Amino acid sequence: MRIRSVVTMCLVIGLSTIAVLSSFAGGAGEAATPDAPVEIRIMGYGGQDPAIKARLLDEVIGDRLSEQGIVVTYEPLEGDYNAALFNALSAGTAADIIYIPVETAPGIIDTGVVANLNELTDISPFIASLNESYTFNGNTYGIAKDFNTLAMFYNRDLFDEAGVDYPDENTTWEDLDEMIRAIAAIGDDVYGAAFPASFDRFGAFAFAAGWDMFDDDGHSDLTDPAMQEAVEWYTGLVRDGVAVQPSDLGQGWGGGAFATERVGIAFEGAWMLGFLRNEAPNLEFGTAMMPIGPSGERGNFVYTVAYGINSQTRNLEQAIAVLEALTSVDAQQFVLEEGLAIPSREAMSENEYFERGSSESDANRVVFEGAESGRVFGFQFGAVGTDWMTPINAALSEVMTGEASVEQALATAQQDLNELLAR
Amino acid sequence: MLFLKTDENGNPAGTTTEDSNITFWRAKRRWARVGIVYLVMLVFAVLFVGPLLFAAFSSLKINPLEYPPSLRIAELNPVNWVTAARLGNSGSGNYWSGGFAPGGDIPFDIQYFIPDGVEQQTPEIQVPRRRPGAGLGAVRAIEFAADHAEIHDLRVSDTEIGRHEVEDVERAGRFVTWSFRITYAGDGPKIDRVPVDILAAPQHYYISSTLPASRLERRGRVVSFVDIAPGIGRYVFRNYARLFDEARSVTTGQPLFFAWTRNSFFVSVVRVFTNLLFASMAGYALARYHFRGKFLVFLVLLFSQMVPAQVTFISNYLLLRDGLFGLSNLFGRTSLLNSLWGVIIAGAGSGAAMIEAGKVFIMKQFFETISRDVEEAALIDGANQWQRYSRVVLPIARPALGAVAILTFQGAWNEFFWPFIVLTSPEEVKTLPIGLMSFRQTYGAAGDWGLILSGAILSAIPVIILFVVFQKYFIHGVSFGGSKG
Repeated sequence: MRIRSVVTMCLVIGLSTIAVLSSFAGGAGEAATPDAPVEIRIMGYGGQDPAIKARLLDEVIGDRLSEQGIVVTYEPLEGDYNAALFNALSAGTAADIIYIPVETAPGIIDTGVVANLNELTDISPFIASLNESYTFNGNTYGIAKDFNTLAMFYNRDLFDEAGVDYPDENTTWEDLDEMIRAIAAIGDDVYGAAFPASFDRFGAFAFAAGWDMFDDDGHSDLTDPAMQEAVEWYTGLVRDGVAVQPSDLGQGWGGGAFATERVGIAFEGAWMLGFLRNEAPNLEFGTAMMPIGPSGERGNFVYTVAYGINSQTRNLEQAIAVLEALTSVDAQQFVLEEGLAIPSREAMSENEYFERGSSESDANRVVFEGAESGRVFGFQFGAVGTDWMTPINAALSEVMTGEASVEQALATAQQDLNELLAR
Repeated sequence: MLFLKTDENGNPAGTTTEDSNITFWRAKRRWARVGIVYLVMLVFAVLFVGPLLFAAFSSLKINPLEYPPSLRIAELNPVNWVTAARLGNSGSGNYWSGGFAPGGDIPFDIQYFIPDGVEQQTPEIQVPRRRPGAGLGAVRAIEFAADHAEIHDLRVSDTEIGRHEVEDVERAGRFVTWSFRITYAGDGPKIDRVPVDILAAPQHYYISSTLPASRLERRGRVVSFVDIAPGIGRYVFRNYARLFDEARSVTTGQPLFFAWTRNSFFVSVVRVFTNLLFASMAGYALARYHFRGKFLVFLVLLFSQMVPAQVTFISNYLLLRDGLFGLSNLFGRTSLLNSLWGVIIAGAGSGAAMIEAGKVFIMKQFFETISRDVEEAALIDGANQWQRYSRVVLPIARPALGAVAILTFQGAWNEFFWPFIVLTSPEEVKTLPIGLMSFRQTYGAAGDWGLILSGAILSAIPVIILFVVFQKYFIHGVSFGGSKG
């Protein structure tokens, strides 16, 4: 009996402590006085972003925000950003401002956790194709932080050695075909171009052939002749041995292959510049717009990340102020002029940075102009997300390695894709 | 061993030739067996330690991803150590860490082979403005050697007639050596490194230089050096030095690696102490006391070991988010997320927390092997319960405590999943494994694996030391617990 009463007493004491403390906990959150600065949290990528944000706050927008009584904290999510973000959103620990990657935007926005910006701020100064990727049913949910498109990076030394003219904005698929073959003729260890078996690069070629990812009913048709033509051209160069998959050079991506100086051309975005600075600082490269395809236009992807506002935020007004500061003219100018990212404001095309004439500023200019030239689509695949690419990637790989013909591979891919979309 | 007495025929003393044949045959068998055992152990050793050693060697290279991989590493050549020390001294008066300071005057030579019939052209020397391509180094404002360096006395210092194999064909020609000096003009800050690029005309084939080239670019025309005044330390341990120079906190400017190591030690040491205390007390109670529900408690203990971490982590996360029902308010925190105490208190699953079921099990099993007579003797001498536990049983249980301590330390040091969930920001709050993962994203994305490798090697060292020093306890741990650590 004695033991039981002790246990009961312990329970009573324990539970009452917990009850008292949790009411105390509820109060502590609201205790901020009107004068205390409001903390606005931003959740975004790891990598270089924390350092860029720190400099942006220190050197450009920090003073302005602290005058308004706002303190900004940047919280990088390492590893799989999308998974981490969904965790934070469902646990209620997500920040006031969140990065919304373009490929997962439909899924995130669909859940209603992002605030509609139409009434809150002015989205008109930003590049239209970027806004479109975040606009659903006429409501815009994100303002692009910065963006990237694909461009043709070419190795000047290899072009000189092969005696071929550099590509430019008028280069067509036929011209490119000749260039690739001429460069491959330099030697056994040299290839004309790096073509990864992956839709995230190949897509730009499919668009240039006139193909659309989705028809009006939301279906994807891989048996379309335009798709066939693009696959045949893209994989044919690899099968002929004049272009190469990066993996065959022991590299994970086109940029890696480009840095080995064994490929003449790689199709990548401005993200390659930092990599080249590290891995091949003396590589003499030039940049040209993507080639013009059979449709008479070039194709391209827009890869972007937007700032969105968490609809659960308790400090909406301050969050908007931070969002506006981050995407303000001077913030974007700073980021551009330091060569850190490509700004999303349309008016930035006039910036003197693009006229500096260095390989890097040229590359950034070509990538910037890529967003508004030809058939450009967001790197976005509806609610299924990047899984949409898997069947096509498998098909490209099979054709490149000679395991299947173009028709066979596309037919299989079509089947897989239909199953995926029907889910 | 095999030193047998032999007679004048060379046979073992006191044996006939026939006997000696059998003995010889037996000895042969024995040695063959020993040979096989050693061979197998050698294969295992290479298999298990090989990758770590390879990573350790690669972490010294400028390009750890070098393909095909090679173990001929310039950084391990003593001749280069001497040169690096000399160059470091001429750059900044420091043999160990080198650099470029006012008054620095670095002499350098480079030799090319020029085939007959090719016009000899002086190469262009340049000190480039080069910043890291990734991470904080790419963003932070830094001083460039290029702003202070002057190149002097570029001249041919030696010409030698000879033959050299070029693209699989041996050709006649001459070996030409150019010499130059790089000096620090005027006054200014000390700069960490002096990168140099040397551009030669086509068909000038690079042979050698004072320090070996870091890389050849533009199809052999550019010979590039990441630092020509490294000093011996920075030459051999370049990636390790970068780990502390470049990877710094954006807010405090302190090297992140220190903070992460400190955090990992804190978590591991606190967990070792809590586990030693609680697991031994719980194990003792389960082994010695008779109380109602004892079997049930034991069952729950076993059951908690069987629940995977992924099942409990969400509830544990929510618990920490609300600061253990608000208890954390006593310590001035509304939430235990992003706090080391959060990692220590709750754990995902049974393998990582203040008290772990597996450790209780180890202690219980050990206490059961200790004879009751010992305690009864102490009881007769007038020892109370606490004294019997702390003065009598615990000292006997030292091997088991040792096993618990190292298994816990090793588990906590290497733990990934739970800290990954709890510690997200700021950077300084992370533990080593989580921090290294953020390196992967920051530097790996830009192909810069040197930093990650050197960080990984450094983070493995404490566990390696622990293992070497306490290896016999590891064996104990396995035999007590019968399973996992």
